Amino acid sequence: MTKQVAVIHGPNLNMLGKREVGIYGGKTMEDINSELEGEAKKLGVSLDFYQSNTEGEIVTYIQQCRGRMEGILLNAGAYTHYSIALRDAISAAQVPTVEVHISNVYKRELFRHTSVIAPVCIGQICGFGAQSYILALRALMEERFDPWIA
Amino acid sequence: MKIKRYLVISGPNMNLLGTRKTSIYGEGSLEDIHQGLHQRALELGVEVDCRQFNNEGAIIDCLQEATGSFDGVIINAGALAHYSYALRSAIGAMLLPCVEVFISNIHSREEFRHKSVIAPVCVGVIAGFGKKSYLLALEALFNLGDVK
Repeated sequence: MTKQVAVIHGPNLNMLGKREVGIYGGKTMEDINSELEGEAKKLGVSLDFYQSNTEGEIVTYIQQCRGRMEGILLNAGAYTHYSIALRDAISAAQVPTVEVHISNVYKRELFRHTSVIAPVCIGQICGFGAQSYILALRALMEERFDPWIA
Repeated sequence: MKIKRYLVISGPNMNLLGTRKTSIYGEGSLEDIHQGLHQRALELGVEVDCRQFNNEGAIIDCLQEATGSFDGVIINAGALAHYSYALRSAIGAMLLPCVEVFISNIHSREEFRHKSVIAPVCVGVIAGFGKKSYLLALEALFNLGDVK
């Protein structure tokens, strides 16, 4: 069966390409999703895209990933910095999760420097625009990179 | 067209990879990482120059000389990431894109490792994917193009 990976876009990411393009770039969420689809084809995985502005809905969706998904790419947007509920959902789901940010959060306001979800994710990729998502998918799936990991 | 060249710097104690705390850092050696980078560079049609330093000042010297000779830098500053303002200034002064990498997920470790003083002057950060972090950083630099 084809491996399934969830791609979760948090609050305001549906506005990508339409707001603050200086920070987030001109690509829309749909552009990013279609680039991810292309990469997923190469890697032989299928993607389940999800966007919600509502914290509780994202929590529910992450809970539903348990046992169904091979991995999760999560751009939790601003929830990254304060949603302990999201953090608990990730650790309860027991699905390897990669934290993704379009911008380099460490170049921005101090409140964005802390991620409460990072400790329960396998890793974090930030600052590479839409490419952050592609790299995250490869980080999760690409076998050829794995021999070095103990 | 000029072949792109990237400088890869590993900081203090990275020469011990594979021999210490393998549950955190994995079994492979730094030499394995360098080999993997060279192989990936070959596939991408670029060159990598991989170096390791235990000495903070030596890294700064190396970064100061990088502009003009390289197209980008990948840095795993090790523990220096968390407190070396001198390194931060050196990266900031450099006219090259720099990607910060970590082998481990620093955010699931001790609190003093949660903060990187060099992250704000880097293009981006890749942390937590084992030695794969370096390879992803090479791809990130190579594909940078439209991103600052």
